[in-house]
Amino acid sequence: MGLSVLLNIDSDAPSDIIMFFGRIHPLVVHLPIGFLLLAGLAEISTKWTKFQPVKAFTQYLWGLGVISAFFAVLFGYFLSLSGDYNEDTLFWHKWSGVAVLLFSLGCYYISKKQIRIPFYGKSILVTIVVFTIFYTGHLGGSLTHGSTYLLEYAPNPIRQLAGLPKKTMPRKKVTVLDSADVYLDLISPIMNNRCASCHNSDKKKGDLDLTNFSNLMKGGENGDVIIPGDINSSDLFRRITLPANHDDFMPTEGKRPLTDDEVALIGWWIKMNAPSSGYFTALNPDKEMADNVNRQLGLDKNNFLRETVQPPKKEIIDSLSNQGFIFNLLMKDNYFLEANFSLSEKDLAMDSFESLLQIKDQLIWLNMSNSNVTDENLEKIGQLENLIKLNLSGNKISDKGLIHLEKLQSLESLNLFSTEVSHGLLEIIPKLTHLKRLYLSNSNATNEIVSQLQSEHKNLKIIFD
Amino acid sequence: MSKYHNFMQKPLSRREMLDICKGGFGSLAFMSLFGVLPTACGRSGKSILDASSNLNLGPHYLPKAKNIIFLYMDGGVSQVDSFDPKPRLTKENGQDPRKKFKVDATQFDNVGKILKSPWAFKQYGDCGMPVSELFPHIATCVDDIALIRSMTSQFPEHTNANYFLHTGSGLQGRPSMGSWMTYGLGSENKNIPGYVVLDGGLIPPGGLDNFKNGFLPASYQASILRAGDHPIANIKPKEKIQNLQEQKLGFINQLDKQQLAEIGKVDAVESAISNYELAYKMQSSIPELTEFKAETKATKKLYGFESDDPHTRGYAAQCLLARRLVERGVRFIELTCPKVSADRWDQHGNLKDGHERNAHAVDQPIAGLLKDLKSRGLLEETLVVWTGEFGRTPFAQGTNGRDHNPSAGSMWMAGAGIKGGTIFGRTDDYGYRVIENEVTVHDIHATMMHLMGINHEHLTFRFGGRDMRLTDVHGHIIKDILA
Repeated sequence: MGLSVLLNIDSDAPSDIIMFFGRIHPLVVHLPIGFLLLAGLAEISTKWTKFQPVKAFTQYLWGLGVISAFFAVLFGYFLSLSGDYNEDTLFWHKWSGVAVLLFSLGCYYISKKQIRIPFYGKSILVTIVVFTIFYTGHLGGSLTHGSTYLLEYAPNPIRQLAGLPKKTMPRKKVTVLDSADVYLDLISPIMNNRCASCHNSDKKKGDLDLTNFSNLMKGGENGDVIIPGDINSSDLFRRITLPANHDDFMPTEGKRPLTDDEVALIGWWIKMNAPSSGYFTALNPDKEMADNVNRQLGLDKNNFLRETVQPPKKEIIDSLSNQGFIFNLLMKDNYFLEANFSLSEKDLAMDSFESLLQIKDQLIWLNMSNSNVTDENLEKIGQLENLIKLNLSGNKISDKGLIHLEKLQSLESLNLFSTEVSHGLLEIIPKLTHLKRLYLSNSNATNEIVSQLQSEHKNLKIIFD
Repeated sequence: MSKYHNFMQKPLSRREMLDICKGGFGSLAFMSLFGVLPTACGRSGKSILDASSNLNLGPHYLPKAKNIIFLYMDGGVSQVDSFDPKPRLTKENGQDPRKKFKVDATQFDNVGKILKSPWAFKQYGDCGMPVSELFPHIATCVDDIALIRSMTSQFPEHTNANYFLHTGSGLQGRPSMGSWMTYGLGSENKNIPGYVVLDGGLIPPGGLDNFKNGFLPASYQASILRAGDHPIANIKPKEKIQNLQEQKLGFINQLDKQQLAEIGKVDAVESAISNYELAYKMQSSIPELTEFKAETKATKKLYGFESDDPHTRGYAAQCLLARRLVERGVRFIELTCPKVSADRWDQHGNLKDGHERNAHAVDQPIAGLLKDLKSRGLLEETLVVWTGEFGRTPFAQGTNGRDHNPSAGSMWMAGAGIKGGTIFGRTDDYGYRVIENEVTVHDIHATMMHLMGINHEHLTFRFGGRDMRLTDVHGHIIKDILA
C-alpha cells in the first residue's frame, strides 16, 4: 500500500515516474528471454556428458532469469497502466508473463535443491517455460507493432495457415495501352496517390474509403460519391473540380491537387458508367483521352533509354572524329551518344553518314547545324531511328528531303530553324508521334501551315516567329 | 629528381592516372584506392580503357542543359521593386518598420521608414506573372521563366556573398561553379575555353577569385573576355611573320616538356602548357567569335544594338556574344554587369535613378537573348540563370535607398528543363523574409548541376583529405521548377 501511494498507482493517469519505468519494459523484457532460454538450453545440454560441467551453473542462470523476469513483469504492469493497448491482447500478455515468472521460479527452486521429479517432470517444466516465453513475446510484439506485423511479408501458404488473406500483388507496369485495365491501372492508382492517405480502411475521413472499388461505390456519410454516367451529380467529381480555395475542394489541407489529366480521366470514367474492370481501349476512348492516358502511364516517353547499349566501335568513333564529328557520352554506365558536327572545321563527307549508321543504336542526339546538309543526306539521317533530338538548322534542306524523316519515331525535338521547309511539314509532322518541340523560325513555313499543325497537335510546341 | 616530390603536393594528373592504369587489373584495384578519377564524373576505370579517346566523357545522367548562361546582377536587385510585389509597402509607406516587424541589423544600420516601390507592377504572359516597370522586355518572356522569390544568402555583405554565390563558400579560394561544370563535363570546343566570363565593365566585389579554379586543376579557371575590340590582351600576334611565332611557341613548348619530364607530371606545369596551346588557338577563334558581321540587323535590333543608351548597346553585344559562345559549345558563360553612370545594383541611396539605369542597360538585351535562343532552338539546351548575390530591404536606408537583405531575394531561371511560368517560394507581406520554400545558394547550384546531368553529390575532388563538392554537404534540387 505504501508503495502504491508513493507511486500514485491508484489514480487514473499514472504518474510520470511510473511511465518512465514502464517505458523501460521493452528494454528489460529481453533480459529474461535471453537468460531463461539459455538456462533451458543448459538444462538440455547436460544430458550429454561433454556438457556436464555446465550443470553447476544452471541454478544461477535460472536465478538471473527469475530476477529479470520479475522486473520485466513489474515494468510491464506499469506500462499497461497507460491504457494505450488493445485490452484483450494485453490481458493474455500480462498473465502469460506472470506465468513465465512463476514457472521459472519453480525451475530455479528445483535446480537449486536438486529435486528429482518423476516422469521427465523437469524437462516438461522447462519446455513449458520456453513455450510460454515465445507466446508472451509474440503477444508483446503484436501489442507494439500491430497484429499483422509478423506475417505481413510472409509467403502466401504461411499466411493461409494463419487464416490471413493472400497478399495483394502489385499490378504489373503497363507497357502497351491495350493492356491497361480501366479501374485497376488507371482510376485506382489516382485514388491511391491522391485520396487514400485520408480515405482508407483505417482512417475513413467522412466515412469514405477509396482504396477499392466496392467501398468507393458505397460512398460516405453524405451518400454516394460516384453516380455512374452522371458527372454532375457525382460528389467526388464536383469536389475535385471546385476552385482550390473552396471549402469543399478535395484534396484538402494543401495536399497536391489532381492534375488536369487525372480530373479529365475520372470524369470520362464516370461518363462511361464507372466500370469496375475491363480494358481501357475496349471502351473506345477518343484520341484525346488515349493521349491523356498515354501521358499518365508514361507511354509517351521513349522507353528504350532504360536499356543498356553496347559501346560504339572505337574505329568508327575515331574515323568520324577525324572527319570533324565530336562525340559526347550522355550518361554514366551506358553508351547513348550525342554527335555534333556543327563545330567542324572540315566539310561534311558523304561517307560520314554510312559510318553514323553503324552507331545508330547509340546515337540519340545529332547536331548538324550549319553543316551544308543536303536533301540527299536526309535519306541517311532518316535511318538513324533512335534519334531523340535532331538539329538541322541553317542547312539548305527542303520538303524534298524532309519526307525521309518519317521513320524517326523517337524524335522529340526537331530543329528546322533557317531551312527551306514549307508545306511538306503538314505531311511529315503528324507521322512523328513522339515529337514535342518543332523549331520553324526563319524557314519557309507560313502562318497557315503553323496554325494548321498547331490545331492538330495541341501538345506540340511550335516555335515560329 | 625525387627531392622535388618532397616539396610538391601532387594529386595524380589525368595523364599520369591513365599511364598507371595501362597495367590492367592490378592497377584497376589501385585506382579504386584513390576513389575518384580526375576526369570527374566517377566513371569506372574500365570504360575509360575501352572507350576511344575521341569519346568525351559525359554527365551522370541524360542532361537537359548543355550550357549555362549566368546573368549576374552585381550588387543585389531589389526584389520588391522587380519580381515580388508587396501592396502592403504602399499602404504603410513612411511608417516605422520597427513597429511592424523585427528588423535585423543591416550593413549601414541606417534604418529609415517603410519604402513603397516607386514602380508599378503588371501581370504578363499566360501565367500572369507580375513584373515591375523596371523590366518591360523581360516581362514579355515570363512564360519561359521560373521565378524564385525565396532565395536567401548566408552573407549580408558583397564580397562574401559573391564568393558564396560563385563558389558555394563565403570564404575566398574555393573553385567557382563554372570551374566545377567544366571539370565535370569538359568542353566540346577545343579552341575556346569551356568557362568564359564576359566582363561587362564591373568585376564583382571579391574580384577574380569569384571565377578561379581553387583546388581544381588550373585549366578549369575562367577566361575573361572584355567588352570591345580587344576582348583579350595580346590576342593579335605581335610578330610580323606568323612563322616566327610558331617557332617561338614550339621552342617554349619544348622547354616546358623537358621540365615536365624532369619533375614529373605536375598540374601547374601541365596546365600552363595546355593553356599556352589554347591561347594560340584562341588567336584565330576569338576574332571570329567577336565578329558580328554574320548577324542580321533584325537580330542585333532584338538585342538592343539600336538603343540610345550606350550601356544597353554594350550589354547587348555581351548577350549576343553569349549566344555565339553557346553555339560554339562553351559550357559556362557568366556575364557581369555594365558600368552605368550610377553604382551597380547596390542602391543604398537614389534607388529610383540607380535601379532604372541598371535595369535599362540589361532589360532589352536579356529579353533579346532569351528570344533569340528560343527561336534558334538553343534555349532547350541552355539554362539561363538571372540572380544577384542577395535581395534588398523593404524599408529605406536613409530616405531613398535600400540596404542589403540576405533573408530574401528574387532570382529566375529559364530554358533547358525549366518549367516556364512558375513562381516558387514566398516572402512575408513586406518581402523582408522568406516564409515558404526557402532556396539557398546550395539549392541553386544543385539544381544547375542536375540540369546539366550531374549529380551534385557525386561530383567530387579530393583536397585536404576530403572529397570536396560544390554544394559541400548541402543542396537540394528545386524539383517544383523543373519541367
